[in-house]
Amino acid sequence: MTVQEIVSRLGLKIVAGSSGLEQNITGGYGADLLSNAMGQAKSGSVWVTMQGHQNVVAVASLVGMAAVIIAGAAPVEPQAVEKARQEGVVLLTTPLPAFEVIGRLYGLGITGQ
Amino acid sequence: MMQHYVADLHVHSLLSPCAAVEMTPRNIIKHAVLAGIQIIAITDHNACDNVYAAVQAAANSGVTVIPGMELETKEEVHIIVLFDSIKKMEQWNAFIQPFRSGQMNDETRFGAQYVVDADDELVRVKPELLLTAMSIGVAAASREAAALGGVCIASHVDRPVYSLISQLGLIPADASLAAVEVSRRMKPEEAPVLLPAIGRLPVVTASDAHTIRDLLIGPRTVFCLEQPTLAEIAMALAGQGSRKFMA
Repeated sequence: MTVQEIVSRLGLKIVAGSSGLEQNITGGYGADLLSNAMGQAKSGSVWVTMQGHQNVVAVASLVGMAAVIIAGAAPVEPQAVEKARQEGVVLLTTPLPAFEVIGRLYGLGITGQ
Repeated sequence: MMQHYVADLHVHSLLSPCAAVEMTPRNIIKHAVLAGIQIIAITDHNACDNVYAAVQAAANSGVTVIPGMELETKEEVHIIVLFDSIKKMEQWNAFIQPFRSGQMNDETRFGAQYVVDADDELVRVKPELLLTAMSIGVAAASREAAALGGVCIASHVDRPVYSLISQLGLIPADASLAAVEVSRRMKPEEAPVLLPAIGRLPVVTASDAHTIRDLLIGPRTVFCLEQPTLAEIAMALAGQGSRKFMA
């Protein structure tokens, strides 16, 4: 499943990194602690978080995440958007709560294993 | 004899990956003098290597340097940890060593981490990733710092990221905090109303400077003290011995 497909299926808003929408998603990860995501998430994952600051982008880029979904209408800092543009990190937002986003992703066949 | 001292207890040097390269200890002290700041704490993320140069650079400047650090706890909460001597700071640094993640910094993603001397000469580049969590919680870390005679202040509790209030939403009962800090985004006197979770802790403010411009703009806290020392600042925060502060 590509990033573009989850964007369409979940009605996500693309705030940065639209050039990376063709990437394939190989799994999912949910965490609000950056140190945890940095240590545990796998490359190619879609990361669901409520954090919207620029270090999220640094971690996503470091891990090689396919996309980051900032859920629950959490505010996204302008510096995060700017950094995501520079780094080519796909940054997506949604008013859906994190639990709902993860549940729907799982329903689409994206798992955490 | 009581005097007023203008203090900025939260300043990053160029050791912090997110700080500008202009934030050399020498340049910080030079601008502190220009701005009328008399007490300055150097508080880099999870590190204190540039405190030595800052103390040297401040010799005969009239500025008192307080050795410090901005710790990132396992909850990703930032707390300012201040000590009254380099020796205590080193004991603290040794204590937190086992709690480091062991990850290396990626300059392109997080920023560079420079250790310099008092003449702005590069001494070394710090390889460890500083912009990450330590594996020790805020309560245990603050208690240990206090046991070493340190003073802990919860950083920018008004901010939506990396703050005790954003991450936990409360002050842990077993934490040892002397005060909370608000950023330039909130007036200290409004904090108890807007952030009831801080309870009765004293509220200070500081620049959290990452650039010289931040340092010049402030905000700062004015302390009424006998001497420009951390012990006196602790007394002022606790409201003891007629010492006071005005944030």
